[in-house]
Amino acid sequence: MSGPETPLFDIEEMEINFGPQHPATHGVLRVMVKLDGEKIVESKPIIGYLHRGTEKLFETMDFPACIPHTDRMDYVASATNNQGFCVTMEKLLGISIPPRAAYIRMILAELQRLASHLVWFATHAIDIGAITPFFYNFRDRDEILDLFEEYCGARLTLNTMKIGGVPYELPDGWLDRCRKVADAFPGRIDEYETLLTENRIWKKRTIGIGVISPEEAIEWGLTGPPLRGSGVNWDIRKVFPYDRYDEIDFEIPIGKNCDTYDRYLVRVEEMRQSVRIIQQCLDRLPDGPIMARAPKVLRAKEGMVYGAVEAPKGELGYFIVTTEKGTKPYRCHVRPPSFINLQAMPAMIEGHLVADMIAVIGTLDIVLGEIDR
Amino acid sequence: MGFMDFLGKLVPFELFKGMAVTGGYFFRRKETIQYPETRMEPADRFRGMFGYDLDRCIDCSLCAKACPIDIIFIEDHVEVNPETKKKKKVIDRYDIDVKRCMFCGLCELACPTEPRSIWLTTKTYETSTYERNEGLYFFKERLADWEGVTAFPGVITPIEGQDPKNPMSKLPVEPAADPATKE
Amino acid sequence: MTDPLVQLVVIPVVKLVVILTALLVTVAYLTLLERKVLGYMQVRLGPNRVGPKGLFQPFADVFKLFVKEDLTPAGAQKFVFILAPMLIFVPSFLVWSVIPFGESFSVAGVAVEPFIADINIAVLFILAISSIGVYGLILGGWASNNKFSLMGGLRSAAQMISYEVPMGFAVVSVLLMAGTLSMVGIVESQRSAELWWVFPGLLGFGIYCVCGVAETNRNPFDLPEAEAELVAGFHTEYSGMKFALFYLAEYMNMLLVSSLAVIFFFGGWLPPFPNLLSGLWQLPVLAWIPPVAWYFAKVMCFIFVFIWFRGTFPRYRFDQLMAIGWKWLLPLSLANVLLVGIGVLVFRVWG
Repeated sequence: MSGPETPLFDIEEMEINFGPQHPATHGVLRVMVKLDGEKIVESKPIIGYLHRGTEKLFETMDFPACIPHTDRMDYVASATNNQGFCVTMEKLLGISIPPRAAYIRMILAELQRLASHLVWFATHAIDIGAITPFFYNFRDRDEILDLFEEYCGARLTLNTMKIGGVPYELPDGWLDRCRKVADAFPGRIDEYETLLTENRIWKKRTIGIGVISPEEAIEWGLTGPPLRGSGVNWDIRKVFPYDRYDEIDFEIPIGKNCDTYDRYLVRVEEMRQSVRIIQQCLDRLPDGPIMARAPKVLRAKEGMVYGAVEAPKGELGYFIVTTEKGTKPYRCHVRPPSFINLQAMPAMIEGHLVADMIAVIGTLDIVLGEIDR
Repeated sequence: MGFMDFLGKLVPFELFKGMAVTGGYFFRRKETIQYPETRMEPADRFRGMFGYDLDRCIDCSLCAKACPIDIIFIEDHVEVNPETKKKKKVIDRYDIDVKRCMFCGLCELACPTEPRSIWLTTKTYETSTYERNEGLYFFKERLADWEGVTAFPGVITPIEGQDPKNPMSKLPVEPAADPATKE
Repeated sequence: MTDPLVQLVVIPVVKLVVILTALLVTVAYLTLLERKVLGYMQVRLGPNRVGPKGLFQPFADVFKLFVKEDLTPAGAQKFVFILAPMLIFVPSFLVWSVIPFGESFSVAGVAVEPFIADINIAVLFILAISSIGVYGLILGGWASNNKFSLMGGLRSAAQMISYEVPMGFAVVSVLLMAGTLSMVGIVESQRSAELWWVFPGLLGFGIYCVCGVAETNRNPFDLPEAEAELVAGFHTEYSGMKFALFYLAEYMNMLLVSSLAVIFFFGGWLPPFPNLLSGLWQLPVLAWIPPVAWYFAKVMCFIFVFIWFRGTFPRYRFDQLMAIGWKWLLPLSLANVLLVGIGVLVFRVWG
């Protein structure tokens, strides 16, 4: 026989669109997937369905008025968004906040980290099929949101920090309630771990899925639990401490196998460490003023600054450019952790099955509000 | 590997532990609140619907300037008292477009009067109407009276018992214990 | 009376009507039971607004499904689209004709047996008829003209077929012990052996449970209807009464698998330990409970366990699911048949 062999059947790759409206993509994410049978050959996330022009809006309003807008980017964890903006502006203006304000900010940020990781746990579990942790997690998150409500008046979009400190003094009895929540929390985490950590079905679904090596993770620019799950010891709270994190004693969990299961373990351990931070801050809360001396109408000097905080999803950065005597930012660009983490998704799911893509989107813990801004 | 390991591969012991957790929850107290009959009472600092006091307001427009989305519309004119030659600002229009409000509280923080003339701590969160453009646009007199915002029938409005002249004061009567509050 | 009219017409018709009505009502209330039990495990109450404690919810559901718009997607093959729900519903219903619910009792001097028929190859009949349901799945997925439904339908069919084999072998181990293929005969053999077949056949029972969960497409094996991947699998495009048929067929399958587990392994309608420990268990109150009640209670326990599984476990990926079925369960079930066979032989030789 001469000539090339012609195949009997024409094998085409099927191109499927996981549309913007889908129960499992955490928000309006669209993924175009090229499938060979069930294996994913190529995938492409398409974003932009939640773009609201936040960065342009920042240019039109004063510095204090920008803070409610930062809430709405990562709407699951808004206290750390506020903290990022305030930390960056304080860096620019050279304001140093009083110790009580710093400790209150740390308590709020760590409570927010707990709440955000609870949402991650709930949605990751429900994507993989375990439907009950969702309800348990949201019940616990409700207790944390009640604490926020008593402190600043809102549950989700908090507007809870100001440039120079925090706006309100703690209400009566808040410290005791916070301590009660923090002390009860490790027991709850144990319960969730009983449901999932040793579960053979869970392990089969998450071990070996979405592996990304540490070198690749650094090259892609991943931060947060995806980076720490791959074994890189990098946490902004330890490396570039802000807000008195250097006075608190806590550990950074690092993963070994760079897969989804390790990222799961890293986040669960982060929840325990957050409880530890909250308990230490509650013990050591100093007295004093809660706002630094700052003029009522903030006028900035000319300059640009980049400040970053460790949001639950990764490194949340603000790049702010100001003009001389300006009351509004000239340009404010946000470095959202989910946006950069999502870029690694096609590399992580190549060769896996469709069901694994859902698991990987869940483990990267993306929030479309942050990605699209 | 030992016998227990082999047995563990066959018989999923950890799955039974997980089942014990969910089975335990079957018998515990449930967190559901039956809404119209029972109502979640928000905290004291909860940022809900506006309260406005026309007498205390000194018409400084700081609230309008602080609002990030510019939903407070203020117009005024100056009246000169012919006898005493004193000038007085009279508010013509003080409108809030509640349908675009995000309840951030910056207007409340900016108000300089003591106690504040505009406040959000009214513990009202049931502001739904059938017609958005009319129902959620509050002009001066309506803000003072609130006849457009009514709580669900049968539910006690939170304003009863709260001193509207002093929004940060404690309620004189303890609100009825919510059956679903945690122990 | 042995009047042929009564024997051949009246009694069977009455039995048919009673049993089928009871079945439909049970399946309808099973949907409510699932939602309430799942809710209770998830720290919430299930539906509790319609009627006292939510007891009229199934009627509301049925009414809603009746009045929903009946869509046929463009490009779908109409005939097959309508045929598919019927193909899955009718076999699930038909199988119940050979399942016994209790002992024969007498009503006004006439002996009534609480089952529609007792054929002596009942097990074979059940396995054969329930396999026809797979056609409904494949055709339903294919006729919807939807890539996701097709994938769901094919996966579901593959899963059901591959788990029927270990299930069949697990049932074979019971047949070895019981010695007969008739359902009534299997229960009677447990009475005469004074032993429920679950105790010697524990491995078979475990295999049967796992296969039963996989057969009915329930968590942890419910990938074909997983919301995350395929929205709803093969029945995505169905609405209204056709969807109701799929839905009812799934719950009837669940009820069927539970009933079979009770009859094969847990003694059907027999009270627990009727003759063992005779002194303690000869409580007169136990004799007053009719056998149908025992059967019903046992089936409800199994249904509760099904719902418990759904509330607790994540789901397997499809290739892992097939691997479990073929690589683990099939060799295990063959080994089980071998062990049980040896056990039965030894038992007969020794006494």
